[in-house]
Amino acid sequence: MKIGFYPRLAADGIRKNKRMFTPFILTCAGMVMMFYIIMYLAVSSVLDSLIGAETLRQMFALGSWVIAVFAAIFLFYTNSFLIRRRKKEFGLYNMLGMGKRNIARILFWETLITAVVSISLGLVGGIAFSKFAELGMVNTMHGEVTYDLSVSGVAVVRCLQVFGVIFFLLLLNSIRQVRFSSAISLLRSENAGEKPPKGNWLFGILGIALLAGAYYLAATIENPVAALFVFFAAVVMVIVGTYLAMISGSVLFCRMLQKKKSYYYKPNHFVSVSSMVYRMKRNGAGLASICILATMVLVIMASTACLYFGERDVIESRYPRDINLEFRFDELSDFADERTQILKNGVMAELEARNVTPQNAYYYRSANLYGVIRDDVVEVNSVFISEAEAINSSYLFYFVPLADYNEVMGTHETLDEGEALLYSYRTDFNTDRITFRGGESFQIKKKIDAFTGSGDTAMDMLSSLMLVIPDLETGLQQIDNIAVYEGSKLLQMKWICNLDTELTPEEQITLYHDLTNTFLNDSVKETLGYVGVYTSSQEFEQDDFYGLFGSLFYLGMILSFVFLLATVLIIYYKQISEGYEDQARFAIMQKVGMTKREIRKSINSQLLTVFFFPLILAAIHMCFAFPIVRKLLLMFNLNNVILFAATTGISLLIFAVFYTIVYRLTSNAYYKIVSDAREEKG
Amino acid sequence: MSILEVKGLQKVYASRFGGNKVEALKNVSFSVEAGEYVAIMGESGSGKTTLLNILAALDKPTAGTVILDGKNLKEVRESAIAAFRRDNLGFVFQDFNLLDTFTLEDNIYLPLVLTGKSYQEMRERLMPIAEKLGISALLKKYPYEVSGGQKQRAAVARAMITNPKLILADEPTGALDSRSTDELLQQFAEVNRMGQTILMVTHSVKAASVSSRVLFIKDGEVFHQIYRGSDTDEQLYQKISDTLTLLATGGMKQ
Repeated sequence: MKIGFYPRLAADGIRKNKRMFTPFILTCAGMVMMFYIIMYLAVSSVLDSLIGAETLRQMFALGSWVIAVFAAIFLFYTNSFLIRRRKKEFGLYNMLGMGKRNIARILFWETLITAVVSISLGLVGGIAFSKFAELGMVNTMHGEVTYDLSVSGVAVVRCLQVFGVIFFLLLLNSIRQVRFSSAISLLRSENAGEKPPKGNWLFGILGIALLAGAYYLAATIENPVAALFVFFAAVVMVIVGTYLAMISGSVLFCRMLQKKKSYYYKPNHFVSVSSMVYRMKRNGAGLASICILATMVLVIMASTACLYFGERDVIESRYPRDINLEFRFDELSDFADERTQILKNGVMAELEARNVTPQNAYYYRSANLYGVIRDDVVEVNSVFISEAEAINSSYLFYFVPLADYNEVMGTHETLDEGEALLYSYRTDFNTDRITFRGGESFQIKKKIDAFTGSGDTAMDMLSSLMLVIPDLETGLQQIDNIAVYEGSKLLQMKWICNLDTELTPEEQITLYHDLTNTFLNDSVKETLGYVGVYTSSQEFEQDDFYGLFGSLFYLGMILSFVFLLATVLIIYYKQISEGYEDQARFAIMQKVGMTKREIRKSINSQLLTVFFFPLILAAIHMCFAFPIVRKLLLMFNLNNVILFAATTGISLLIFAVFYTIVYRLTSNAYYKIVSDAREEKG
Repeated sequence: MSILEVKGLQKVYASRFGGNKVEALKNVSFSVEAGEYVAIMGESGSGKTTLLNILAALDKPTAGTVILDGKNLKEVRESAIAAFRRDNLGFVFQDFNLLDTFTLEDNIYLPLVLTGKSYQEMRERLMPIAEKLGISALLKKYPYEVSGGQKQRAAVARAMITNPKLILADEPTGALDSRSTDELLQQFAEVNRMGQTILMVTHSVKAASVSSRVLFIKDGEVFHQIYRGSDTDEQLYQKISDTLTLLATGGMKQ
């Protein structure tokens, strides 16, 4: 009998406050579900077959901490509504002779029940959702790729740990609040408005400082992959900064509105502004939560959509033509015109033998090597460089002979001995002269801004510089001599031949295999005079790309969906809990003579006053995330800023529309709650 | 000129499943002249609050009419009722019904803000009222920061600020201590002397004894009424007490 007393009291309490607890449990479950899904992606085998799986995995693992921080802050916010409502009840218990210790026991059971229910709901939801996601995955993959999504023990355990801690903290917070207040103040606490937080200015400045710091990090991180931890530190800073800035900002903003008499004393602003002031802190926290989720949705949606729709771009920059051939040499003398001519004739003969007429074909010779710029001089044989140097000052140098450049581009440039044209890819490197230590030096005659390059530049994550020089055979001898590491040459020499065909995709793939076999033949190598070959076919490679980008896109959509769901929950929670708080007030206002129309108007006014805040701030966040995300996209060879800007804009639009609809629907729920409150009085 | 006319008012409450019917008001008729201060007395359950709710257009009578300043409440459209209430009636409730989200000043302004008055005008109207009720210094405070008596005075100010044709007060002293009660009743009397018509429902003899006429309700009907005439408050108090004794012992109604 005695054992069951507190649990029963707690269960009763929850049942009687169903309308407050149901949304709370729902939001908790939503958070658990979100966390589970991220954690699941981090540890499961889903990512295994994707390129960059390790990086993605690390991102999800760090991302799960971001979600945990967010969930903790957010659940504290939602819980504050709950405590406020419950305090009155506890005050009554206290007055009727129940000690604080006993109340703590009730609180303990209440938290336990809530935790168990919401964590199990969330886990079931998460597991079901990941199962459901499996179906769609295969669809997006353009076939064959299948992943088995199943329950992940690690993710479940981590969920239990993280949310166990969060609920424990919530319990401590509730006990603290009950402990330090008298029975009377508990009874009355629901009536008292929120005081502006002490040192509001301080919080505001701290928030803005955090945001500024995070923005600075975001703008200066050169390589987000190498600096993944810094990147996620910036993300957490943004979250905390957003909360602080939003809370103190909204306090300040409400105060300002209230001071402006001609605005405040208007029928539709009067009620809405005053109730915003009344719960200014919670209001700010709610808006901040929406803002953060909006940012997450935007970043994920925009970047993965950009990848998906830009995949054609990527394939074309990586594999410029239907069939791409790259023949390698060992000696600069192989660059002699007559040697190249033999090779070209040989290739053409092979094509002709297979009845293939080359279209849009282009050929050029190229030599390339890596170099680090130190003190304005290029070092070509330094193998050991620091990470910072690798990121900031190393480049891939390409040398192309002027004759080939003019032919490919249809230009008539001329160069004197020691002069060069410069083309920079993925960098805005600018100089008049490029000198190689112990090697040649080139005077830059002019900068050019296009070259139909091979896929190499696109594949490499380094920035590259292309130098068009008069002649390869004679112009690179010193560099070739010094660029040696442990006996092997660092200068790569090749002849590139890319062409389109008029064949069907299947025929192209057959041709590709056929040519690969032929050119790998040693006797062919000997006759045509090259040592190695690399062949590729757009059609053949493209399936892999569809698989990769399709699955990334799908992952992105799933994550966006999860975050959108969380946004819906937050907005719903905000409206419902505020609705129940405001019910009695609107009942009084109706007695004093407020019409239903005026209630509507004041709800709309509140909506319009604060509605755009999270959107605007999310857009600002997005602006600063833009460079980082761009750099991440570059990893995938995607360098289409316009497409990215477009997908960002569209994502913002989609989110705004979605947000408006949800706000409208939930504000109807709010309206129903407050306007039905013709409380019956005896 | 009579500002309020109530004729043959009847209100029947049916229980939820239509089984038991309770007749809260049987047949109530009376009228209130402009500038009068009328107290309605009766025991708990005698139908006082029902009557007040009907007068305030918060509830509809089963039968009978209420005419306020020549206008039949039945003819006011549902959508216009709130605005009608706001423009013509002032309310003082037992539990104050002040909003925690507003300062006392803003609470008082609420009905005026709803009608779209400018801050300047509201302020001009409020100052003399606040002065008279002695709450000028408290205007910036929130309801949970002041005492019950102060809250009720703010509620009175809110009722008066629209210059209503009639103030309806429902047990205004019910939640107050005796000192606050005395102060509030004095203020009511003073407001009434300035020409404000007041209709107060109460079961406090003391509250009723400052009025100019007392109506007694029993079992849903107006049972008796006492005019003050030239009586002092004390004399009226005595008369009311006697009447209540009679009512309670049930000696008169045959």
